[in-house]
Amino acid sequence: MASGTATARIGIDVGGTFTDLVLHDAARDITHTGKLLTTPDDPSRAIIDGTVRLLEETGLTPADLHSVIHGTTLVTNTIIERTGATVGLLTTEGFRDSIEIGRETRYDLYDLFLETPTTLVPRRRRLEVPERIGADGDVLLPLDEAAVATAARRLVEEEKVEAIAVAFLHSYRDARHEKRAGAVINALYPALPLSLSAEVAPEIREYERASTACANAYVQPLMARYLDRVEAALIERGFHGRLYIMLSGGGITTVREAKAYPIRLIESGPAAGAMASSFIARMAGLERVVSFDMGGTTAKMCLVEGYEPNHKFDFEAGRVRRFQKGSGLPLKVSVVDMIEIGAGGGSLARVDPASGLMKVGPRSAGAMPGPVCYGRGGTEPAVTDADLVLGRLDPAYFLGGEMKLDPDRVTRAFAERISAKIGVDAEQAALGVQRIVDETMAAATRMHLAEKGKDPRRFTMIAFGGAGPVHAWNLARLLKMRRVVVPLGAGVASALGFLVAPPATDMVRSHVARLERLDWDAVSALFAEMAAEGRALLTEAGAAEGAISFRPVAEMRHVGQGFEIPVPLPSMSLSAADLPVIREAFFAAYRDRFERSMEDSPIEALSWRLACAAPGQHIDLGGAVKTKPGTGGAVPRATRRVLFEGVGWQDCPVYDRYALAPGAAFAGPALVEERESTCVVGPGSKVHIDRFLNLVMDLE
Amino acid sequence: MTEAFDPITLEIYWNRLISAADEAATGLLRTAFSTIVRESNDFATVLMDRRGESVAENTGGLASFSCILPRTTKAFLEKFPLETWKPGDTVITNDPWIATGHLPDFTVVTGIFHRGRLVGFAGSISHSPDIGGSLWAADCREIFEEGIRIPITHLLREGQWNEAMLEILLGNVRVPRQVLGDLQAQVVANEVGARRIAEFLDDTGLDDLEGLSAALQERTDRAMRRAIAELPDGTYAAEIGADGFDAQKTLIACTVTVRGDTMQIDYTGTSPQIDRGINCPMNYTHAYSVYPVKCALDPFTPRNEGSYRAITVTAPERSILNPLYPAPVSARQLTGHLLAGAIYKALAPVMPEKIIAECGGAPTMRALFSGARADGDSFSQVLFASGGMGAAPHKDGMAATAFPTNVGAGSIEAYESVAPITVWKKRLRQDSGGAGRFRGGLGQEVELEIRTTTPARLSLLSDRHEHPASGILGGEAGGPSVVRFADGSKPHPKSRTTVPPGARLTLLYAGGGGYGPPRERDRDAVRADLADGYISPGAARDTYGLE
Repeated sequence: MASGTATARIGIDVGGTFTDLVLHDAARDITHTGKLLTTPDDPSRAIIDGTVRLLEETGLTPADLHSVIHGTTLVTNTIIERTGATVGLLTTEGFRDSIEIGRETRYDLYDLFLETPTTLVPRRRRLEVPERIGADGDVLLPLDEAAVATAARRLVEEEKVEAIAVAFLHSYRDARHEKRAGAVINALYPALPLSLSAEVAPEIREYERASTACANAYVQPLMARYLDRVEAALIERGFHGRLYIMLSGGGITTVREAKAYPIRLIESGPAAGAMASSFIARMAGLERVVSFDMGGTTAKMCLVEGYEPNHKFDFEAGRVRRFQKGSGLPLKVSVVDMIEIGAGGGSLARVDPASGLMKVGPRSAGAMPGPVCYGRGGTEPAVTDADLVLGRLDPAYFLGGEMKLDPDRVTRAFAERISAKIGVDAEQAALGVQRIVDETMAAATRMHLAEKGKDPRRFTMIAFGGAGPVHAWNLARLLKMRRVVVPLGAGVASALGFLVAPPATDMVRSHVARLERLDWDAVSALFAEMAAEGRALLTEAGAAEGAISFRPVAEMRHVGQGFEIPVPLPSMSLSAADLPVIREAFFAAYRDRFERSMEDSPIEALSWRLACAAPGQHIDLGGAVKTKPGTGGAVPRATRRVLFEGVGWQDCPVYDRYALAPGAAFAGPALVEERESTCVVGPGSKVHIDRFLNLVMDLE
Repeated sequence: MTEAFDPITLEIYWNRLISAADEAATGLLRTAFSTIVRESNDFATVLMDRRGESVAENTGGLASFSCILPRTTKAFLEKFPLETWKPGDTVITNDPWIATGHLPDFTVVTGIFHRGRLVGFAGSISHSPDIGGSLWAADCREIFEEGIRIPITHLLREGQWNEAMLEILLGNVRVPRQVLGDLQAQVVANEVGARRIAEFLDDTGLDDLEGLSAALQERTDRAMRRAIAELPDGTYAAEIGADGFDAQKTLIACTVTVRGDTMQIDYTGTSPQIDRGINCPMNYTHAYSVYPVKCALDPFTPRNEGSYRAITVTAPERSILNPLYPAPVSARQLTGHLLAGAIYKALAPVMPEKIIAECGGAPTMRALFSGARADGDSFSQVLFASGGMGAAPHKDGMAATAFPTNVGAGSIEAYESVAPITVWKKRLRQDSGGAGRFRGGLGQEVELEIRTTTPARLSLLSDRHEHPASGILGGEAGGPSVVRFADGSKPHPKSRTTVPPGARLTLLYAGGGGYGPPRERDRDAVRADLADGYISPGAARDTYGLE
């Protein structure tokens, strides 16, 4: 166990290109970051190298480390690249094709030659066994255990599977057949990883549950090997603390749990950004926030309300078309409710031959060759190129001056690729790129809020990521949002999420019934079961038992509707006496979303969720700020001309972000530069720096 | 006239309008009750200019509905001319000839006002949970048996609900609360669309949609004409048969004439209208003719009124594709869904790379089970499942996926939770994909048991029992539809059957047709199909000639 001096914590985000690390030690008052290239052949190498480097740079030793918190894109990449295990699937007789039949919809109405995601388990490795449990939990056909053994043998001996998933009908209601089948397989092959659908995703709807179980099995062997390797390597270097893994929902969990349910790490990386936003929101006291993270390839938005990101309980992995809903494999997992659109610094502009109109994205130049201005062979103009032409970026101070940008090459690219086709000059073409990409992001954000019945004007934006602060002002303007908050250090902002994430887990069970006919004892028993499981898990993850909080929620709807809405419940121990309160809670949640309620229409509950969490770590950045208070002045270091839509070229003072102390204030138009990003302050808006060094921009 | 919009501004404005239509659709989907709306995407939202011409359509929903809505709105304008519209006015109809071809769909259109002036219309179509009459029947003799018909009338007048009309309507349906709930959802959707348009005009400083509408329609018209112009001029014809109703078989005769950048689709020679509910009114015939053309020729340009200007569709009066009032029409999709196959068959020789073979899921097979649960409550649940799509020039057809409609399937677990039915099998149906160089998509095999204590009712709407989806350019036909009880008896394919408690029923959903000769199929693909059980050893050997 970690000793008294072991107070340092490190967050590690293994991304596609870079592995980001941040070390925080409250006792020693150290916050330190690091960035190195990801090592795709063995990502644990960059983790160890980075950790060692961070310790060296801060003068700490492995023994000073209290814990390491790790987020990874390994699970999502394994599914996208289809590099997972050879999996076998056992299903109820008559249902081996449910993962292939899916929802039977075309995600694009007009494309006759639509590509669908290939199943993770081909038909030859999907075997059926006689058994059947009914919707009410009755056994309609007993499990044929001999058939399970025969099927398992065939899968292992002939099909050489490395993991098996079991998904029987109605197992969310009664898992005894699945568990029995699991025991039979385990007796035959004790080392073989098993994923039972009732354990991975105990929710009604067989396709989604089976899909989740298969995906879990698909990534399980690989993730187990990987996590073992990371843990062993850390111990070898003298690390005695705890290794935690970031979950898709923004909580952290133990290695053991991560190895059992690796599919719950599918959004491990992106969740950190949302947690960082939540942290900044709490720090700045912002109740309603749109978190806006724009990087090289994509922009991600999520709502943070009451200092917590919105959650949802389904996700799509491995989409055939990355930004097209319905083109991926559905997973029933708890994730941060985030939209991702193909709008980033590398998004490419083109003229569509069919309509003659200009389009931007979702195709991206990526890191190689990157935008034209990088001078690495890119020939198609990208969003970053447009930002350069419009004066938003300084060609001499990109990545703190590490990369020199080439404006002439960019102007030529706009002239050849865009201007020549639609008859506008390079400046107007660049302005067009900015307008289109910002409108695209605004439309997606508006739709995301509309689906929840929310109005963007009541929200504050927190912007980060390399391109986030460049586009935040215009995006906020389009959404009619009044305030934008840009934290110091876009790169650090996201990684902070690892250090503030609480040990947490989300439990779920399905039990379908109309409210008035509900067996409340059965529901209370489900909650007791989930609470016991959650408590065991979180105490294992280091939480004090008394500090764990439980939030029971029911997924409810009017009978006949297809949308469930989450409704907070008064307690985990329920009885018929709670019915009026629960009904009223449902109507309140319904009105909140749909602006009306239908109080004479019967209600049913489908699933019961229990969010279990221990308090997260608090980081007080305010205390770490080493600037002189009261230096309210702000002195620009230069002036640059910037083109604004509808206003024209404006002379803008350029401020050094690192020289701006709390209390500094100035008016737009202006630019604020830091190493990884530039914040554009539009005409008419006012800026001040708050005591946490956040840049706060108020739009007119 | 077309104002000057540069290609950047036009792109931005267009996307704003499509987003507005999508937001309206979100409003509808969030609040609608009807399971059919969600499960089979049986809805649409469209934003139109002052002439009732579409400017932008929602991205999801039913493509054919989006195509019909402007036609209906123009009919509204004939009855209620522009100058009579006041803020808060909303007009409704479900007349099959004016709207979507059968009674259960409500078309609801709201005027959009900006600075006190009518600038356009927001419209929505949604499948109602009930419309009275004989539920789910293709066997009616006249439209009067099929439900209540609401002529063009105000649903709201200056924001006030038309209580008298509502009372009559709700007094004639089985689930009035749900019907009203869905109508409210449509009004909400229209209001969202109208509000977004007004905001858009405010933001952009435009006075109205006229110039923009013309510019956008000009773009879509040009894109479609350019695609048509690439086809050789000529007249291309095809015929396809369908089961029809009992002894009255259906023939679709289709002649496609390409001349320059225009296309005419004519159905002269098609069967006359019959006295059963599979007649397909002209609006539906038009929509299901232009939609497959759009998919094949210009799939990726967004749609509006201009998309279809280059295409004319005609069918002789009193034919099954242009029946006259008061013909029964409730199952018009059983005929209308066949048109895509006929058009593709006609055009296959001149655009073989752009079409697909006939689809097993055209028309969709729908089985509705109703009766009493053990607790005394009644149930009425549609089993959603689809046949296979036809094979394409370079890939196999999608299994269990419908075209030209886009119906989804729900979960069997959810289905069994609300209906006293046990589904014992729902899996892909071996050998049902039409053989070919590329194989048709597989249909499905569903076996279920009725676990009621009193007799239940099965309402079946289906075709392709005698006319499977044909293959194309040498491809073979897919497996036909089959519906039979365990004792071998068969329910009527387009009517209602009483089902005794404990009965077991098998439904085989048709497969898609194949593309190209089966013996030209890649040998590894044949072997893979065999290993996965998509085809039987017999088919591999006899049909594909696998050694």
